Amino acid sequence: MIRNICRRLGESVIVLLGVALMIFVMLRIVPGNPVATMMGEHADLAVIERMTAELGLDQPVYIQFIRYITGALKGDFGTSYSLGKPVSFLMGTAFGNTLKLALFAALFAWALGIACGISAAARKNGLADHLFMGVSLMGVSMPIFMVAMLLQYVFAYHLHWLPISGINDWRGFLLPAVALGWNSAGSISRLVRSTLLDILQEDYIDTARGKGRTQAGVLIFHAFRNALLPVITMMALQFSSLLSGAVITETVFSINGIGRLAVQAIAGRDIPLLEGTALFTTLVVILGNLAADCLYDILDPRIRKEV
Amino acid sequence: MIQMKKKKLFVLILAAAAAAFVSACGKAPAGETASAAESGTAAAAETSAAAAPAAQPAEDGLLRAAILYDMSSMDVAKTTDNYMVPLNVFDRLFETRMRDGTAQVEGSLCTDFTVSEDGLRYEFTLRDGVVFSNGSALTASDVKYSFERLLIAANENTDIPLEVAGGEELMNGKAKELTGFEVLDDTHFAVTLKAPNAGFTAELSSPAMSIVDAETMESVKNFGSEPADTIGSGPYVVTEWIANDHYTLEYNDKYWGAEPTVKKVDVRVIPDPGTQNLMFRNGELDMIDLQSLDSSIVESTYKTEYPDRIISAPRVGVTYFALNADNEYLKDLNVRKAIAMAIDADEIITGIYNNNAIPESGIIPTGIWGHNDALERTAYDPEGAKKLLEESGYKDGEIHFEMAVDSAADSNIKLTCQAVSQMLEAVGIRAEIKNYDHSACLDLRLSGKMDSFIARWGMDYNDPANIMYTFFGSPEKTAQRSLNYKDKDVMARVAAASSITDDQAREAEYQALEQKIIGEDAAWVPLFEELHLYCLGDRVSGFTPHWAGFSDFYAADVVLK
Repeated sequence: MIRNICRRLGESVIVLLGVALMIFVMLRIVPGNPVATMMGEHADLAVIERMTAELGLDQPVYIQFIRYITGALKGDFGTSYSLGKPVSFLMGTAFGNTLKLALFAALFAWALGIACGISAAARKNGLADHLFMGVSLMGVSMPIFMVAMLLQYVFAYHLHWLPISGINDWRGFLLPAVALGWNSAGSISRLVRSTLLDILQEDYIDTARGKGRTQAGVLIFHAFRNALLPVITMMALQFSSLLSGAVITETVFSINGIGRLAVQAIAGRDIPLLEGTALFTTLVVILGNLAADCLYDILDPRIRKEV
Repeated sequence: MIQMKKKKLFVLILAAAAAAFVSACGKAPAGETASAAESGTAAAAETSAAAAPAAQPAEDGLLRAAILYDMSSMDVAKTTDNYMVPLNVFDRLFETRMRDGTAQVEGSLCTDFTVSEDGLRYEFTLRDGVVFSNGSALTASDVKYSFERLLIAANENTDIPLEVAGGEELMNGKAKELTGFEVLDDTHFAVTLKAPNAGFTAELSSPAMSIVDAETMESVKNFGSEPADTIGSGPYVVTEWIANDHYTLEYNDKYWGAEPTVKKVDVRVIPDPGTQNLMFRNGELDMIDLQSLDSSIVESTYKTEYPDRIISAPRVGVTYFALNADNEYLKDLNVRKAIAMAIDADEIITGIYNNNAIPESGIIPTGIWGHNDALERTAYDPEGAKKLLEESGYKDGEIHFEMAVDSAADSNIKLTCQAVSQMLEAVGIRAEIKNYDHSACLDLRLSGKMDSFIARWGMDYNDPANIMYTFFGSPEKTAQRSLNYKDKDVMARVAAASSITDDQAREAEYQALEQKIIGEDAAWVPLFEELHLYCLGDRVSGFTPHWAGFSDFYAADVVLK
């Protein structure tokens, strides 16, 4: 297993380098002068040229790339053009917020999704099944901004229970976490239900029942454990997606997270910030996939043997 | 039977949920569905709001405000559009302030000045006893340093110090100091200009000319990005800045001027207009910039619920339609005149700006010294426009060009572009709207190859040169700003107009130039000047907006209850 992880890590480094190169080249191909954008329309053309030279943007692209990668390996991703601060500092602050938000959202989504999925599967075509699946359909189909604004309006503005925006304490995370996790909860509950229903048809489930196991025991200890594989895959991918930024939730609830930082970088053609956030997002997705693979290995011995 | 009952119950629950959802979404006022959904302000559109908690009197001296986007820097040399810190933390030699309804340039750090007869040499006297917030005295050497630093590094605001003799040499690295700046003693200094400039003192009131502490600047590394390093002599100090979250200003007890009622300003970055709206209505903000909100919300909610709390000020500047004189169609004077005649600015003001704008007929906007009230507006005359096009031999639909739209432009500018495109279509001109992201749009414009665009120019200081010279002062300026206006004689006259020391003669020259550029050459089409609306919360009793209607303001001009 360790060998497998090392191999995957090696592949990840290559993917990361490839993505870095692609982003680097693309940002230099697209129309628009980042220095002019940074300096604004008042800036004199001579000043723009001087600044271009100061930033090293007049150098050949391969030299710029080598400099960038050398700096990145030391943790120096340059200074943001639009916010005037080191990219690593900005990403560190934003990632802290995004991580907390993702954890809250994931916990909410997984707890709700798994509970609803199991309840629905236990009472197939019953009231609970229809209710939970109806709600989960709503979760899957409702846009995040709509959920966010409804929650904000009802619980913060109308009832004054929670803050409208900001994350000064744990209460500030509740509404954004629900808004962000709502959609994931819907997907998880539908997946848990369908996987459980398939497994409940298996012979070993009848055997378990024949041995006198209760319905709950069969469901939790025999069926759910075997339904975990696809669910964990989805959870790992969902978590890496949550970590790579939730632009809408972060915007509506004024959270300084990775998603907002990335959008700001795109709008302001802020090359160092854009490269930093893009690399970071790639890394998170790669690690998410790696984590899912490792969990496979742990949960299913057959996969270990195949490898 | 039980199964049937369960099914009916399920259907009922679903129906109830659907009804609740539809009713929750259906309270938005009619006519704003699309824009509200797009801009994420559906919740903000609610008018049946619960009563906001009663606000406490502002005995704490705290002012809570919000902005959509964070500032890029607190250093005015690095920004041309984030002026909240420069206005409140730094002083300038002069300030432009609203006095009895008009913008007037008055001494701030400068208590007295004289100008030589040839208009080239200025001698200034500094206010006695002014200290920076770190306690060090503000002297003439600090003023010299403040001028020089704009030219030494690659900064954004170089225009004004470049007017001083030796400015170019310092910027190009051929000199080590600004030779036209002479420090006479701690409180006296002289500035020699390259050419006379009657608007020089007005220029010195622009935020770009903020005075910094030379000693601090030499000893700190993060001026403009770290609050502790960003030292000024203004009424406030920056105590905290968390990028993309908030910044805080607190009263500077070493400030030389009157003590303001606002002792602390908390500015939060709230990127969603809908959230800003809810926060204001919930009593969490003491004032809101209505420019940030969807205009339909302003009309349906603020103007009906808070009519007495709305403050309006002109955003001193012009929204204009620039036409490229190098374009194969737009180089024809008749085409440009026809375009001016085909645009109904009043309709745009009513339909898009809800009458929160006033029409403009020239280049120098209302509220600026030298503005010409008597300048005749080009009348809306689509039939006349068609005749002009016929005279030039153009068939219906033959004339076509691109109208560039910056993706970062506000929604009203985008709607104005659509309206203008439709108005031109009605006279047989196809102005095809093309969206560019901000960077690409700026690049295209700076290249002088953009066919046309609609934009707004806001004034930085109260002098006609700020707009006349910027748009028509030299071939380089006109290539970027006025899209290749050709008349070099006019450019020379615009450049020379700054040197006219007699106010009346200078005003007459600017007005004659306006008549030539707009009336005769139809070089660009002036449309209107916007009004900037703010709404005050319960804790605020008075507010004087910045004279130019900036979103940024002097916190000392806010009066708390």
